[in-house]
Amino acid sequence: MATVTAVARTLYPHDALPDGVYARVGEKLADAAGEDSATARTIEEGCDGLNEHGLFVELAPDARVEALRGIEGSEFFELVRGTAVVEVYSDERTWRLVGYEGPSFDKGGYIDRGFNDLDWLPDPEEAP
Amino acid sequence: MSSMDNGERSANRFRDDDLDVIVVIGSGAGGGTLANELCQKGINVVLLEAGKHNQPEDFINDEWPSLEQLAWLDERTTSGSWQIATDFPDLPAWTCKTVGGTTTHWAGCCPRFKDWEFRVRSELGPVDGASLLDWPIGQSDLEPYYDKAEDRLGVTRTNGIPALPSNNNFKVMGNGARRVGYKGVSTGRMAINPVPRDGRPATIQDGFNYQGDKQRAHWSTLTAEIPRAEATGRLDLRPESMAIKVEHDNAGSVTGVLYADADGNERRQKARAVCVACNAIETARLLLNSDSSLFPDGLANSSGQVGRNYMRHVTGAVFATFERPVRMYRGETMAGTVSDESRNDPGRGFLGGYYMEVHSLGPAFLANFLSPRAWGRDFAEIMEQYECMAGMYLVGEDMPQADNRVTLNRDVRDQFGQPVPNVHFDDHPNDTAMRDHAYASGASIYDAVDATATFRVPPYPAAHNLGTARMSARAEDGVVDAFGRAHDVPNLFVSDGSVMTTGAAANPTLTIVALALRQADHIEERLKAGML
Repeated sequence: MATVTAVARTLYPHDALPDGVYARVGEKLADAAGEDSATARTIEEGCDGLNEHGLFVELAPDARVEALRGIEGSEFFELVRGTAVVEVYSDERTWRLVGYEGPSFDKGGYIDRGFNDLDWLPDPEEAP
Repeated sequence: MSSMDNGERSANRFRDDDLDVIVVIGSGAGGGTLANELCQKGINVVLLEAGKHNQPEDFINDEWPSLEQLAWLDERTTSGSWQIATDFPDLPAWTCKTVGGTTTHWAGCCPRFKDWEFRVRSELGPVDGASLLDWPIGQSDLEPYYDKAEDRLGVTRTNGIPALPSNNNFKVMGNGARRVGYKGVSTGRMAINPVPRDGRPATIQDGFNYQGDKQRAHWSTLTAEIPRAEATGRLDLRPESMAIKVEHDNAGSVTGVLYADADGNERRQKARAVCVACNAIETARLLLNSDSSLFPDGLANSSGQVGRNYMRHVTGAVFATFERPVRMYRGETMAGTVSDESRNDPGRGFLGGYYMEVHSLGPAFLANFLSPRAWGRDFAEIMEQYECMAGMYLVGEDMPQADNRVTLNRDVRDQFGQPVPNVHFDDHPNDTAMRDHAYASGASIYDAVDATATFRVPPYPAAHNLGTARMSARAEDGVVDAFGRAHDVPNLFVSDGSVMTTGAAANPTLTIVALALRQADHIEERLKAGML
C-alpha cells in the first residue's frame, strides 16, 4: 500500500503532515480489498499501472502529478481520491494544521471559547 | 402499555388491527408535528419511522460518522443534466433516516413565505418550461398557523424571544453586506434557544448544526414534539419500520400500511386514515409503489402529478478567504441572513427571490463539497486557509417543471426488494440565472470586506425537497387539496414538503410545520363530522 499512500499525498499534498495521515487511505483500502475481490483487483491493477515504468514512490513530485493526470477519472483513481478526501480531512492532525478544533460539545461549545472573538470587524448593524 | 423488559423492543401500544388509529409515516417536521398535534387532540396515532431512535447523546460531532448515523443512504439513482448527477450520483438528497427525520439535521432558519409567493403563477405569468401553479391557499390562511408554529419552534425575534448574538462568520457576511448596501441583515429568525425555553436549554454555540444538536437548544421533532406526544399515552412510535405500500379497499379508501419491521418482517397496520410524510422523494416513491388495479399509475395519481414538479431550491454556496482568522465553525452554523434579494424583481434577469445565509462546513465536508473531485497542490493550499475562511449558503425559489420528477427505478431494488426512486432534474434557465446572480452577490459581499479569494461552490445534495404531491384547487392539476388531503382518496393525507405547489425562497421547515398544524385541525374537524 506504499503506492496508495504516495498517491494520497500527491492528491492532497500538505507538506507538514506526517505519512501516517496518508497511510490511513491505504489502510482503509486494504480493508475494502479484504471484503471485496473486485476492489482488490482494481487496487492491484491500478498500483501496477502506476509502477509500470519505475516505482511511483520514487518519482519526483511533478512526475507523480503527471502520472495521476494520466489516470484521472479511472475507477482506481476515483476509489483512491474518494477515500483520500474523506480520510485526510477527517484526521485530527489535518484539523490542527488548517486551524479546526474538532468536536466542541464535550468542551462546552464555544459560548465561552470565542464564538464571537473575531476582532477585525465590528458587530454588524442589524435590521429589526 | 409498552415495556422494555430485558432490553427488548417495547411492545406496540396499539393492535395491528385497531381500525381507530391514524397512521403517520415519517417523524420529521411534517409527520412528527402532525403526530403530536393529533395526540394532543385525543387521537391515537401509530407513527412509522424508517430510521432508528437515536437520541441527542448519541449524536456525533464529526461529519462523516454523523452522516453514516443520520443520513438517508438507501440506494437511489439520478438522471438529468443537473450537476448533482455528476458530482453525487447516488446521493441526490441530504435528508435523514432517524426518529426526528431531517429536523435533526436542519440549521433552524425560519423565514415565512411572502404573500406573493403563494400565487407565483399569477404574479409572474406563464414561464416557458415551468409548471407554475398558484397555491389553493394564501398567506392569510396560514398566518394563524405561522404564529403557532413560531411559538412552537421558539423562533428568535418572535414571541418575545431575543435574537441570537453575532458569531464570527456572521460578522464577516454582515459587515460585507452592509458595505454593499444591503439593509435586511440580521442574525435571522432561528428555531434555536438563545435562552432556556420550553423545557430545552439555551445554545452553547457548539456548531455542528447539520450533525444533530446534542445540546437540544434547536427545535426538532425528536426533542420537542415526539416526547410530548408520548406523554399523552396516545402515540405508538415504531422506529426501524419502513413503509412499503399504502393499502386500500375496493371503494378506494385506504385501509392501512404494509411495512417492514426492524427484522425485515412484513407487517400490516390497519388505519382509519393514513398521513404520508416521508420527505418528497420517499413520499412520491411510496404513492407510486402503492399502485393497484384500481390505481394503476400509483395511489392518488389520477392527475399523473405524483412525483412531478420536484423542486430542490436554487442552491449553492460562496466561501471566501481572508488575511485574518474567522473560525467560521464556531457558533450556530446558520445564524445570519441577508434578505434583500428575496424579492421578485425581474430587472435582475430572473424571476423570484433568494436569501443568503451564513453557513460553515468542517474540513471533512468542505474538502468534499468546495470543488467536487478537485485535487492537487492548489486545492490543498486553499484548504490550509480554512481558519481564515467565511461561508454562506444561497437559497432561492426554483421553477417547478413537469419532467423534474421522482419515478420508480424497477431495475434497482432496495433491501426489501422494492424498486428504488430515480430522481431526474434539469435546471431551468431561470434557476441558472438566479444562481449566477446569487454567486455574484455573495462574492461582492466578501470582496467588500477584503476577501483574498472567493469560491463559488456548486449545489450540495438537497436538504429541501419539495413539490412531488402538490396542492391544487383542481384535481387534475395536483395530488392533494388545500388541506393536504388526496383528491382521489378520502382518507389519505400528505403531510410534508411534497405538498408545496411552489417552493418560495424561504427555508421550508417553518411552513411545513404550519401546514401540519393546519392539517391536524382539519383532520379533527373531519373526525368530529364523521367524515373519516
